[in-house]
Amino acid sequence: MVVGLERRWTTWRMGLDEARSGDWPGLVVYLLGHKQILKNPYPGIAHLILFFGFVVPLLVVILAQFAFAIPLVPSWLLSLLLNILGIVMLIGTLFLLGRRIRSRGPGAPKRAILPLVIIAIIIVTGFLAEGTRLSIVQSKFSWTSPVGWLFSSGLPGSPRFMQLMIRVHFFAVLFFIASLPFTFMRHLASASLNVYYRKKGPRGELRPVCLEEGPLGARSIGDLSWKQLLDGEACVSCGRCEENCPAFISGKPLSPQKVIRDILEQMEEANRNGIMPGNPSLPLLEDAITGDEIWSCTTCMACVEHCPVYIEPMDKIIEMRRYQALSRGSFPAEARPMIRNLEIYGDVNGKGIAHRTDWALNRDVPLISSEGLDAEILLWVGCSGAFHPRYQEVSRSLVEILKRAGVRFGILGKGELCCGDPARRLGEEALFLDLVRKNINRLTHYHVKKIVTLCPHCFNTLKNEYPRLGGDFEVIHATQFVAGLIKEERITPKYPLTQKVTIQDPCYLGRVNQIYEPLREICRAVPGLELKEMKRNRENSFCCGGGGGRMWMHESLGRHINQIRAEEASETGADLVGTACPYCLTMLEDGLKFLEMERPPRVLDLIDIVASSLG
Amino acid sequence: MRIIVCVKQIRHTYARTGMDPEKHFLAPEDRIYRINPYDEVAIELALRTKEHMGAGEIIILTLGPLIAEAELRRCLAMGADDLYQIDTAAEMDSWSKSRVLARAIKDAQGDLVLCGKESLDNQSGQTGAFMSQHLAVPFVSAITDLTVLEERRSATLQRKAGRGVREVIECPLPAVFSVDLGPIEPRIPTYSDKKQARSFPIRKLSYDNELKPPKIVSTKTFPPSPRPKKVPAPDNTLEAFYRIQELLIGSRIQKSGEMLRGNPESQVEGIIAFLQKHGFLESGKAQKEQ
Repeated sequence: MVVGLERRWTTWRMGLDEARSGDWPGLVVYLLGHKQILKNPYPGIAHLILFFGFVVPLLVVILAQFAFAIPLVPSWLLSLLLNILGIVMLIGTLFLLGRRIRSRGPGAPKRAILPLVIIAIIIVTGFLAEGTRLSIVQSKFSWTSPVGWLFSSGLPGSPRFMQLMIRVHFFAVLFFIASLPFTFMRHLASASLNVYYRKKGPRGELRPVCLEEGPLGARSIGDLSWKQLLDGEACVSCGRCEENCPAFISGKPLSPQKVIRDILEQMEEANRNGIMPGNPSLPLLEDAITGDEIWSCTTCMACVEHCPVYIEPMDKIIEMRRYQALSRGSFPAEARPMIRNLEIYGDVNGKGIAHRTDWALNRDVPLISSEGLDAEILLWVGCSGAFHPRYQEVSRSLVEILKRAGVRFGILGKGELCCGDPARRLGEEALFLDLVRKNINRLTHYHVKKIVTLCPHCFNTLKNEYPRLGGDFEVIHATQFVAGLIKEERITPKYPLTQKVTIQDPCYLGRVNQIYEPLREICRAVPGLELKEMKRNRENSFCCGGGGGRMWMHESLGRHINQIRAEEASETGADLVGTACPYCLTMLEDGLKFLEMERPPRVLDLIDIVASSLG
Repeated sequence: MRIIVCVKQIRHTYARTGMDPEKHFLAPEDRIYRINPYDEVAIELALRTKEHMGAGEIIILTLGPLIAEAELRRCLAMGADDLYQIDTAAEMDSWSKSRVLARAIKDAQGDLVLCGKESLDNQSGQTGAFMSQHLAVPFVSAITDLTVLEERRSATLQRKAGRGVREVIECPLPAVFSVDLGPIEPRIPTYSDKKQARSFPIRKLSYDNELKPPKIVSTKTFPPSPRPKKVPAPDNTLEAFYRIQELLIGSRIQKSGEMLRGNPESQVEGIIAFLQKHGFLESGKAQKEQ
């Protein structure tokens, strides 16, 4: 067993160094609360029962070692408790067993079956042993162990049978413990470790790349950090990432679970053959994980959100994209012009810096550089707000709102470049760093302290990724800011919109940055607006299919993600779909047109809605 | 086999957002420095030819000051072996340019010369043809694909003959080919190649005694007059009201103006001052008329 554990340890320990601090209180709260696991209710409850069914007897046994003589009354209660636990635990085990046996499909998680069977044997033999004991020794406290009492009526009072059952019971327990590192049940250790070392910083943060030294992305498992390999070790194949992955649901070849499992298989194989990291003979990750898989990811974080043990399949996919982009120069064909535009013109549309302020032409939008402007905030328009014809309207609406509220604001104008998010999510880290450097220079030059962004992707990049690279400013999203203005009564939406609205939570606002309420506050503030939530909302929200550079690629595999989401939106019967992201806006508008409804809901940005209600 | 790719660094004007009519409404950020995209495709074609043959050398040759050095080094990172620069700032026309380039190609002993069909900045499309004249070798324009048959010392080419017609041509080597945009897309260099190319020494060539004064001189260029604004077709699933609104928003230009007040004389003066300020009247003439 020790050898087994040691082997598992070396398997994931061969990753690259990464500073991670542990978190004891977090782990304890996680284990006792089971909150993350209970996100999927039925298996979650079964797991909770199994966990406590395991921990309580273990504690009892340990306690019994120290204080052998337990007073009579507590011992009755303890016995009763153990019995009840045993019953529910058996039910839980059978439920999980049934679930695992029933699960089909490629790579269905069958490896959990053996340990579950052992647990079932442990429980059943335990009850049988107790039953025979009770049928031999008639006790007046037999009510304290009801199951044993039930069995005792039907069992022969044979001491030999009792001996046999006790032996089987103990051997099964020993076998279970000894086989921990070799079976699925090693997640007792690895998953706890993974929770212990889980990410503390902003969610969805990617591992920084040192361009001058060190690997550029993940060519083989040797280029992943130890924590990323531990992720592979901790996976229990529960399949929740798959159930929530927009790429998987829409029939694309990507499955986050398979990515993690492929990494684990390569780890195990390397460990068996004694190949150390840095050895070029390590098998390539792309042998197991195809290009279609890694480029299908929309980086929506649904897999990360729903993983019960905080595994992050997304950052491994990005690592593999980095290898493709930086070390191979290979991108999907449709993404290449976008990358080239970013290199030459500094924006995703290839319109150029000169056209960046076209949306503000004749609209009296102050530049941050204009004299006498003591701006409180910088309005970061972003590429979509500046160039996308549909989203330009939203930037104008926001300017309208800011002027109404009397906010002193300014835009960078022609000094603004793309924030770098599309480049980074596509793996082009060098280009990302270049853009960030230029933007940060510009922002520090104007002493910017507070930024309001229109696009959640810019928001996330400026807020969570710029500080690491030298940015020092407060960043808030336009919906947060406008919700704040409404709360302070600097603007009051007065014209009623008697329409039903449903909300599409942008991934980079919701799941990544936990901003759900401002969107709803805005909807409640507009008179007459009736809010109807979609089937999947807030942290379960479904991606529009535009993130992670997918905005610029064709969806040739499977169904279109935006059509699935558009159907969900139309099922609510809403007249309006409110969102707060340029990608969501375009993708959903597109998807709704495809449905060919008689009266399709209109897609609007929440900023638009507020502006139209202001009159 | 040595392939020489002639690459032009261009100043590409993609917008006209300035306010000053003197400068043809050009603002500094309306221009970017980049490599002529046709030449980038020529490099890619050369790289593929080299990979196909398994051996060879690709030399990038550029003329004039390094105005787009980063982009030039990016071309090098795509996989070329050497980068030559003919360092001169002299005024030249296509004839004198091709003369200097041909001289450099002769000295470098190139077997095959590739260049872009034309450059994005003045699109004369002459340099390649003139080079073949100076080198006394055959010339094929607007090729999109190239296969070198080394044992026969010839090349099979695909050429765009216009109106969608494609032509397959057999041509003996050495030769000069100009490359058109086609199905071949320039590759994206890897980061480590880019890093190496950043410190690659550029070999400077000097052909000052070869320089001849230009025969033709461009005396004046007329920038295009501003185009009417495009209004996208309204979304036909919308109701009429919204469609009309969309059209109106699309074409609405908010006009700003100044109201002239006072007696007629001062108003006339105001008009003349306005016209002078915006360059509609030359100031001398205006004074005479008064």
